[in-house]
Amino acid sequence: MTEQAGAGLAERVSVSSKVAATRRPLALRTFGIVNWLGVFSLTRRQWRNGLADYHYQILGPVVSSLLYLAVFHLALSTMQSGGTGDMLHFIAPGLVIYAACEKAYESSAATLILDKHERVIVDMLMAPLTALERTVAYAIGACGSGLAVGLAVAVATLIFARQVPADPLALIYFAVGGTIMHGLIGTLVGIWAQKWDQYAVIHTFLLLPLSFLSGVFYRVDSLPGVAQLLISCNPIFYVIDGFRRGFTGDGVSHPLVAGGIVMLVDLFLFLSVYLCFRRGYRLKP
Amino acid sequence: MQSSHQVTRPTTSSTPGPVPTPAATQPRPVGAALAVRPLVNALGPRRYATINWVGLWTLYAKEVRRFIAVGTQTVLAPMVTTLLFLAIFVLALGHRVDQVGGQSYMQFLAPGLIMMAMTQNAFANTSSSLLIAKVQGNIVDLLMPPLSPVEQTIGVAAGGLTRGLIVGIATGLGMWLFTPLQIAHPLVALFFAVMACLLLSLIGMLAGIWAVKFDHMAAVTNFVITPLSFLSGTFYSTERLAPVWKAVAHADPFFYMIDGFRYAFIDHADGSVMTGAILLLTANLCLVWLVHRCFAHGYKLKA
Repeated sequence: MTEQAGAGLAERVSVSSKVAATRRPLALRTFGIVNWLGVFSLTRRQWRNGLADYHYQILGPVVSSLLYLAVFHLALSTMQSGGTGDMLHFIAPGLVIYAACEKAYESSAATLILDKHERVIVDMLMAPLTALERTVAYAIGACGSGLAVGLAVAVATLIFARQVPADPLALIYFAVGGTIMHGLIGTLVGIWAQKWDQYAVIHTFLLLPLSFLSGVFYRVDSLPGVAQLLISCNPIFYVIDGFRRGFTGDGVSHPLVAGGIVMLVDLFLFLSVYLCFRRGYRLKP
Repeated sequence: MQSSHQVTRPTTSSTPGPVPTPAATQPRPVGAALAVRPLVNALGPRRYATINWVGLWTLYAKEVRRFIAVGTQTVLAPMVTTLLFLAIFVLALGHRVDQVGGQSYMQFLAPGLIMMAMTQNAFANTSSSLLIAKVQGNIVDLLMPPLSPVEQTIGVAAGGLTRGLIVGIATGLGMWLFTPLQIAHPLVALFFAVMACLLLSLIGMLAGIWAVKFDHMAAVTNFVITPLSFLSGTFYSTERLAPVWKAVAHADPFFYMIDGFRYAFIDHADGSVMTGAILLLTANLCLVWLVHRCFAHGYKLKA
């Protein structure tokens, strides 16, 4: 019985290997200019890693964004008579882009650090991908998971702060630009960091203050001049401001200036990540 | 050669083994035996008084060293985040209101934020300690030593309490740089700080005992602890809330911690401070009993 099965299996194996041999001769596999399949696989892997365990990866940001809205609504309702709609309409876009960017950062940085710890980073380094393809895959993967979270938060917050996007094009441009920016920052941090502490330090002491103090919750133009000057040096401010303009049609910075700055910063980060991947900085011995 | 060596071995084995029993040891000079005996304690089971003070202190020291070792994340990070919250809320809402509870909005906000930081960190300390030990498998180091369930409960909870208080002091000092904080009733502040940190340490222990994966803990933090602390009246006075939300706030145990603690600072309370104090004390006693039962029973800890 088992002998028969074994023989059958052996036969099948030999047949299939014959078929494979006739179809695809054993030679070096060649790629076109771009290894599309490889880029697609790595992007999909990054995207799915960022969103595994969706119930708390997506629900977590949604719940905390709704809590911020609730707290601001309740606090404002005790302070002034009349509606709190203006305030909520102002905060909601900020929360959406903040959640999306945070997810993009977390997605790329966390997967890289985890891969390094588990020693499976070789799977990414050994695959027939050029440094450029890797950079693109990490950027787009992070952008994808960031946008998924942003969409979920947007749907949830729009229930309470109903508004129609004034400029959908700006909305999409700044959402993509912002998540790519954070995805690339996350990739750099992931390449550099060896411990989770370093990842957390960058998040708590750099990204969180930069976004929270740059207009997620309040109008920047009501601040004193020095603070405004400092904030205008912060690229994340332009992401938040531009994205909010896409929702409310009203912003502090000039849309073209904001768009240009986001594009330049993205290009600069892209180049840095590309050089790191090409040199194998902190990745290859 | 080898076999003959093995044969001769039993006859030459009169040399003392690594752990000789008192009966098997060769006779020694009397004076040496007297000197050694009390130290070895006659190799019987070690006895403790009612409380194993060394063990309790060691467990507590381990819990404290655990978070001090990563102080940037466990003390500095909550301090910075809390200061950020202060900045955001004051900048976003401060200009819309003159006074809340007879104080400027910043003065009103500060004590609640300090309390929020303390409670969240007390919870994080005990829950992560137990959960990480369970995931890594070194929970046996807590279960095997000669510690009674009472000592285990006290040791771990005191670690969380210490982290909460240290974070509270750090955050308070940080805020003091921006707004002069004055404590009207220092003893009340101490009472509420200790009671609240202890309560959240114990809840964190229950969560740590219950959870199996880090996802479970993230769910508890995201969907239970954070909402309860956000909707508890840290950011607004509950006196002028709509009735529904007022009811929600007053049903929230965090409200009493924050309200009592704030009363100690600005001498103004939304609810009854005495009710809060009694409530916290009762809740702590119940939770100590519950955690003690979990340790004694080994619920989700022992096979």
